[in-house]
Amino acid sequence: MIKKALCALPLALALVSTTSTAKAPEDILDELAAKSKSPYLTQSPQNRMMMPDNPAYDIAAEGEQLFKQKRGPKNASLEQCDFGKGPGVLKGAYVELPRYFSDTGKVMDFESRLVYCMKTLQGYTDNDPQIRQRHGNTDIMKLTTYIAMQSNGMPWNPPMNHPLEKAMRDAGEELFYRRAGPMDFNCATCHTNPSGTRIRASVLPNIKIPEEWTKAISWPAYRVGHEAVRSSQHRVLECLWQMRYPNLKPDSDVNIALISFWTDRARGQPAILPDMKR
Amino acid sequence: MLHKTPISAAVAAATLTLFTAGCTATGQVQPKATEAPAQVDYTKMKPQELAEYLVFQSGSYDLAQPTQEGTTGKDRLTQDELQKVCSQVARSGKEIDDKTAERINKMAMATIKYPEGGIKLGDWRKGRDIAWSGFGFRTAHNPDDHNRGTPGGNCYNCHQLAADRTGGTIGPSLTGYGKIRGSSPEMLKYAYEVIYNPHAYFACTQMPRSGAKGLLTQQQILDVMAYLFDPASPVNK
Ligand code: HEC
Ligand code: HEC
Repeated sequence: MIKKALCALPLALALVSTTSTAKAPEDILDELAAKSKSPYLTQSPQNRMMMPDNPAYDIAAEGEQLFKQKRGPKNASLEQCDFGKGPGVLKGAYVELPRYFSDTGKVMDFESRLVYCMKTLQGYTDNDPQIRQRHGNTDIMKLTTYIAMQSNGMPWNPPMNHPLEKAMRDAGEELFYRRAGPMDFNCATCHTNPSGTRIRASVLPNIKIPEEWTKAISWPAYRVGHEAVRSSQHRVLECLWQMRYPNLKPDSDVNIALISFWTDRARGQPAILPDMKR
Repeated sequence: MLHKTPISAAVAAATLTLFTAGCTATGQVQPKATEAPAQVDYTKMKPQELAEYLVFQSGSYDLAQPTQEGTTGKDRLTQDELQKVCSQVARSGKEIDDKTAERINKMAMATIKYPEGGIKLGDWRKGRDIAWSGFGFRTAHNPDDHNRGTPGGNCYNCHQLAADRTGGTIGPSLTGYGKIRGSSPEMLKYAYEVIYNPHAYFACTQMPRSGAKGLLTQQQILDVMAYLFDPASPVNK
């Protein structure tokens, strides 16, 4: 089984390099903007201009090396990691997450699955910096950027075949509308307003407008203000911080439910990977 | 494992509880951060029930995290009556019905406490600082230290205020508010009440209950009102 997958790998990578040149992330954004005339999609001409030179590409190149390198206590690469489309298949895997995995009996988002592979294949544990350090210029962000890019331009398509996948998405929808905290915020407070609505100077994406929402959930994105590539889980954390909610643990089920729901709401729209955000 | 068929997924679903319980029992290593308590079956819960479970029992949030007001993360996530009703309204995607709106209005009005000395405008300069500050009560991964600053009112996030700076557009523009509305006692009382608890007039509004939730003191509300009403304030220039 391992041998078969290894033989298929060079082919898979060759496919990736041809498809990823087909349509650049900025072309996808331009098409969405032309179609929807959304102020959210066009709010930053500077970012749009910088997209061909997105610093995320250098980070992805480091991620590719990390992915193939034998590392960790078990001295193994991540090339046998199964992101849902079989061991080693990266193309299109990112846009089909979160999904149910029979080996863990759980719905996992991309990041929790990556961590699972780093633990099971490479032998890392929760105490290792490779697992603990999530945000910033970390291994996890390098790997995330490399792997996510292999789904650039593909439509979001998280599977809804397993009852747990539906359960997590539906719970995520409830969480999205659940008001709490000292300011009574839910996600809907800021993400269901008419297109073009702003929080101070930032244009807010509306979850009910799929062309806006696909950009909103296109993480990893290089955040110019942070000078770093950020993940979906990081964005959840940032919004919870504004909402005055307590800290959320990485890979937790609240994370996965919210990300299941938000990915479902961008279904069919092309992913912009990597993106560039304010 | 290579080929996931609907059949193998269904079998896995059927044996899920058994499977995860078996793993824990035999002490097999499972990644801690992604581990769900094996005793519950998410697919047997209604969406809202599961959402509540995820918030309070799945180990997702740091429920013990201390807050600036001396409570815990768990208290922050525990909904009061208004939050419960307004979540349902938001979730339904429909306009709030008149009966529910009236109930919320009444409930909100009952929370309002008035300054002992009456509603007198404070200092618009202080009010400007409060209106333009988003500091305070943030927790998550980077808690605000209230020893380092006074919590603000966040008004600018949702309202255009003075013309000299860019504010948000979730709420209506308040530029020229005092000039347009005047400063009659009735008007001042209304504005005080809206800032203290906006649900008294706008049931299930997006605007926070700054007075009722203890985010701003009565004096701070009077200062913010001065920023909105004082003819010398940039809001009315
Ligand atoms: C108080 C307002 C507020 C609330 C409540 C809020 N967000 Fe956000 N959210 C923002 C702002 C501001 C941005 C950044 C938008 C920008 O830069 O244009 C953002 C960005 C996002 C993005 C990425 C889009 C981008 O361009 O950065 C996603 C996805 C998102 N939020 C999801 C959520 C979810 C899920 C929740 C509930 C857990 C939530 N938000 C709650 C204000 C909010
Ligand atoms: C999360 C967004 C939000 C924040 C923060 C916010 N507001 Fe509002 N505000 C609104 C919305 C929305 C309305 C309109 C009421 C409605 O229909 O829900 C409103 C209405 C008002 C009104 C009534 C306007 C009228 O027509 O008479 C006043 C006054 C006001 N806000 C003042 C403030 C002040 C002062 C602050 C800061 C202490 C503040 N708001 C913070 C969203 C917000």
